[in-house]
Amino acid sequence: MWFTIVTVLVVAAGFVGLAFHRFWTTREEARSTLLYAELAKRFSAWTALRTVQMARRASPRAWWDYLKGLPLWREPLLEKWLSICLYGSFLYLAASGFFFAIFIPRGLFGFPLVAHVMAGGLFAVCLVITVLFKGRDFITVPKPAHLTLTLLDPRKMGITPARVRLWAFWTFALAGFLLTISALLPMLPLLRTPGQKFMFEFHRYSALASLVAAIVFAGLEIFAAGRPGTPAGLGADRS
Amino acid sequence: MSAAGRAFPRTGAGVVLALFVLAAAAAGQTAAPAPAPAPAKDQKHLGWNGDRTVPVHLLPLRDESDELIVPTETDPRPYSARFTCGPCHDYATVRGGWHFSALTADKSGRPGEPWLLSDPRTGTVLPLSYRAWPGSYDPDALGLTAWDFTLLFGRHLPGGGPAEPSDEEALAHPEARWNVSGKAEANCLACHNRSGRQDHSEWAKQVLRENLRWAATAAGGIGEVGGMASRLKETWDITDGPNLDDHEWAVAPFVTYRTVDFDSKHRYFFDIIYPPADERCLACHSVSPKDAAQWSADADVHTAAGLKCADCHRNDLGHAIVRGYEGEAAETGDRSAGAFTCRGCHLGENAEGEKTVVPGRLGAPYPKHTGIPLVHFKRLSCTVCHSGPKPNEDFTRVRTSRANRLGIYGVATWSTDVPAIVEPVYQKGGDHKIGPNRLVWPAFWGKKSGKTVTPLLPEVVDKIAGDILKPEERLSLTLVALSQALAEDEIPVLVSGKFVFAPNVDGGIDAAEEAGAKADRAVFWGLRAGQEVRPLAPDFDPAAEDKDPEIETRFQSYLQALGTVAGRPGEPAIVIRKTLYRFVDGFLDISEAPAELAGAAGPGWLVEGKLVPLAPDFDVRTVTAKAGTEQTLTEEQVGLVLEALSKMTGDSEAVYISGGRMFHRAKDGTLGAAASPAAAPVVWPLAHDVRPAQQSLGWKGCTDCHSGGSDFFFGRIKGTGPLLTKRIETRSASSFMGLGGLFQRVFGLSFIVRPAFKLVLGIAAFIAGALLVIAGLVALGRFAGFLEKR
Repeated sequence: MWFTIVTVLVVAAGFVGLAFHRFWTTREEARSTLLYAELAKRFSAWTALRTVQMARRASPRAWWDYLKGLPLWREPLLEKWLSICLYGSFLYLAASGFFFAIFIPRGLFGFPLVAHVMAGGLFAVCLVITVLFKGRDFITVPKPAHLTLTLLDPRKMGITPARVRLWAFWTFALAGFLLTISALLPMLPLLRTPGQKFMFEFHRYSALASLVAAIVFAGLEIFAAGRPGTPAGLGADRS
Repeated sequence: MSAAGRAFPRTGAGVVLALFVLAAAAAGQTAAPAPAPAPAKDQKHLGWNGDRTVPVHLLPLRDESDELIVPTETDPRPYSARFTCGPCHDYATVRGGWHFSALTADKSGRPGEPWLLSDPRTGTVLPLSYRAWPGSYDPDALGLTAWDFTLLFGRHLPGGGPAEPSDEEALAHPEARWNVSGKAEANCLACHNRSGRQDHSEWAKQVLRENLRWAATAAGGIGEVGGMASRLKETWDITDGPNLDDHEWAVAPFVTYRTVDFDSKHRYFFDIIYPPADERCLACHSVSPKDAAQWSADADVHTAAGLKCADCHRNDLGHAIVRGYEGEAAETGDRSAGAFTCRGCHLGENAEGEKTVVPGRLGAPYPKHTGIPLVHFKRLSCTVCHSGPKPNEDFTRVRTSRANRLGIYGVATWSTDVPAIVEPVYQKGGDHKIGPNRLVWPAFWGKKSGKTVTPLLPEVVDKIAGDILKPEERLSLTLVALSQALAEDEIPVLVSGKFVFAPNVDGGIDAAEEAGAKADRAVFWGLRAGQEVRPLAPDFDPAAEDKDPEIETRFQSYLQALGTVAGRPGEPAIVIRKTLYRFVDGFLDISEAPAELAGAAGPGWLVEGKLVPLAPDFDVRTVTAKAGTEQTLTEEQVGLVLEALSKMTGDSEAVYISGGRMFHRAKDGTLGAAASPAAAPVVWPLAHDVRPAQQSLGWKGCTDCHSGGSDFFFGRIKGTGPLLTKRIETRSASSFMGLGGLFQRVFGLSFIVRPAFKLVLGIAAFIAGALLVIAGLVALGRFAGFLEKR
C-alpha cells in the first residue's frame, strides 16, 4: 500500500514539475509575479487549459503520427535498435511492474513475470551500452557556489533544464544499476529471507526512481524538441 | 484547658479517623479486586503441581460397575478405564478429545486420513468419516451403525467414539450386540502404557472376537482374555457369567489377571508414561513405502533429533491434540497450537507470517533459506519441500496402519496391499497454499440420481450380485474337493494360459505365473508335485494293453472327490478318447462315450447328456484375466453386476466407480465410462516423515522442481482401482496444484539459460557500476576543482 501511495505521489510530482517547467518557460505571466500563491493560481489555470487542449488534440492517429515523427527512426541502424530495445524493454518493465504492483495483490506472476525478467536482462545490457557511449554527453557539473543562505531559494540554485536533464540521465543510470543488482542478488544463494524481502522492496523503489527519472528526461526532451530553434536528440550539448 | 478545648482534639481525631476510614474504603473499591478464594480441590481435576516425574500408579482396579476387582476371585471382570483412571483424570473430559470425539465434535478441522472400507470381492474402497471431510461419506448416512463401524475399524480405534456409543444409540439398533460385547471405553493404556506388554495385535484380536469390554485388559497385558463374545447368543449378558453348557466353542469371555503385578492390597502397578512413546502413536499412524525394506527406512528428522511425537502433538486433559497445521490456532481457538507448527517452532511466525510466536522451542533450528525467492513462502507450505518422499515419476505407493491394517501380527496375515495410497500429490489446501497430500482413488457401487451418487454397502452388492463375484470360490471348491483324492505332496491346480491356480486356506485361489508358459495355453486341470505340473486326466489309449494300471484307480478317486462338490450342475465324468468314465450305482463305469460326447475330453459334469467343463468359461476367463494383478473385478463382471443392481435401484441408475471413472450400462448394454465428481480422488495432507535439510527440495538448486520435465510438476498420476480396465483417469501433478502446465514447462525450460542470464546481468551490473563510480568521481573532481572541464 505504501508503495502505491508513494508511486502515485512521486509520479504526480514529476508530471507537475514538468508541467511547471513548461509553464515557466513558455508563459510570461509565470515570470510576472513573485508571489507563490499567485503563481500557483496561474499555473493551475494554465494546467487546466492545457489539459483540455491536449485532450481535444489527442487521438490514436495523432499519437501514431507523433511516434512516426520521432527522431529515433532517423538514427543510424545500431543506435536505432539500441534505442528501440532500451525504450521498449523499459516501457514493458515499467508497465508490467507497476501495474501488477499497484493493482494485483499477488504481484507479478505467470507469463508476464517471465517476460519481465527477460526484458530486464535486455534493459540491463542496453543501459550499459547507452551509458558507455552516451554518458560522455552528460559529464558536466554546476559551477562551484559560495555557501550562502540564498542557496535555499530555488530560484537562485541554478536549476536549469540542462542540469535537470543531466541529473535525470544519471539518476536513470544509477536506478537501472540498482534494479539490476536487486534482481541479480536474490537469484544467487546469498540472501536469507529478510534480505530477499528487502531486495524485493528495494527493486520496486529503484524502479520508481527509474520511472520518474525517465519521465523527467523524456519530458524535457519532448519539450525541447517541440520548441523552435532548439536541437533535439541525446547527443545535443545542453550544458 | 476548657471543655471545648478538650473536645476539639477528640472531635478532630474522630474526623481524621472517619476520613481515614472513608479513604481506605474508597481505595478498597478502586483497587484491584481481591483474588478469588482458591476453589475447593476437585478430585477429578488434579492440576499439575510442578513435579516433573510421573507418580507411581499403583491403583486398585475397578470394573464398569465401579466395583473393586479382586484378581484372584472367580470370574473377575475386565478393568474399566472410566472408573479406574477416572477418579484422578476426569473421563468425560478425556472423552472429548480428538481421538474420541468423531461422533460429537462440532468442528472437523483440516481433512485427515479417512477410514477406508475395503472389500476386494465387491471391489469396494469406500472412504468413510464421521467428520465432514471432502470426499468421505458419513457412515450413518450409508446405514452403518456404530456397531458396524466398530467391528470394521475397531482394530485401529483407541476406544471411545463409535466404540462407546451413547445408550440411545445402542438402543436405537437392537441388532447391535453391545449388551453382549460391552463397549470399548477410551483406552488410556493404548497411549500411556510404558510396558512392553502393550500389544496392539491383542487389541485387534479381541475386537475381532467382539470382546470389546475386555480388549483394554488384554491389550494392556493386565490379564489374559479368553472366549469369544461373537459366539454367544444375543441374549447373553455379563451378569450371566460363564457359559456352563459349552466349554469348547461358545465360551464366554473371561479374564485371568497377572497376579504377579498386584500387591497384597490388590492394587495393580500401571507402568505409565507421560507423554506417550512413539510406538504407541505408530501403532495406528505408521506409514511406510510399500516395497521398502525396514532396515533402509529412515525415521523422521525430528525423531532422529530426539523429539517424540507428543513433544509437538500435545494436549491437556481435554486431549484436543495439537495437529500442527497452520491455521489450527485460529480454527480451534487454541492459540498455543500456533507454537507447534513448522513456522511457529522454526521461524516464530503465526499463520499470517507475523512474528508473534516464540521460536526455537525444543532447539528448533532457524532455517537460512538462502537464495529462495519469497514467492515460495507465500504459495507453498513448509511440507512441500521438507516432508514425505521426493516426487518421482510414478509417485510413491505407501501403506498406512489404518487403511492397510498394519501392525497386527498373528497366525493370519492382516496387512494388505490394497487400498492403494500414493504420495506426494501436491494440492492447494484450505489455506490456499500448496501442500503434499496422500491420495486414494475411491471404488464403490452406487445409485446415481441426478448428479448425486449414493454408495451401496458391499454386503448389499454381494447379495444381489450372487455368483457373479465368486468365480474364485467356485474354482476353489472344485480344487479343494480334488485335493481329497491326491497324495499329501500333490496339490490340485487349474492351469490357464501362463498361470497355475491353486486353492488357499481362505477359500480362494492363488495364481502363480509359470515361467516360459504361453498365454494361449489351453485350460486343463492338473496336479502339482514339487515344481512339476501334470494333467489330472492325461491323454492315453484306454484300450491299450500297457496303459498305467493305476489310472483307473485314480480316476475313480477323482470322480468320488468331485462328487462331493456342493452345487455341482451334474454328475462328474471323465472322457478320454471316446471312453467315458463315470460312477453308476456307486461303481466306476467305463464305457464308450455316446455320440454327443464324441468331441469331449477330460473331466467335466454330465448335464443332459453333454459334458460341460468342470468350471464355467466365465470363471476361468475371469480369474485368468485378473491373475498377476491387484485387480479383483473385470469389466464383464461389472457389467453383469450393474445389470443385476439396476433391478433394485428403481429410478436411480446403478453405477460403479473405480480408477477415477464412473462406469454405467449404456443403452446398448455395453459398459460406458465417464468422468464424475464422485470418482474424484480423496486426498489428505501429509506432514511426515520430515526429511533432513540436505534432502529437501531445492537443495540442489531450482531445477529440483523448475525444469522442463520435472516430476514435481509433470508427474502423471493414474487412477487405480479394483477394476481391470484401461479406462482410467490420468492427471498431471500440476493439475492438482491449480497451475498451468504450459507455463510451468516454459518457466522450467527458462532455467536452462538461467546461469548464462545471471552471468550477463552480473557483467552488465559490473560495467554499469564502474561507469557510475567513474562518473561520480569525475563530477566530484570537477566540483573540487581538481579536474577541468574538457
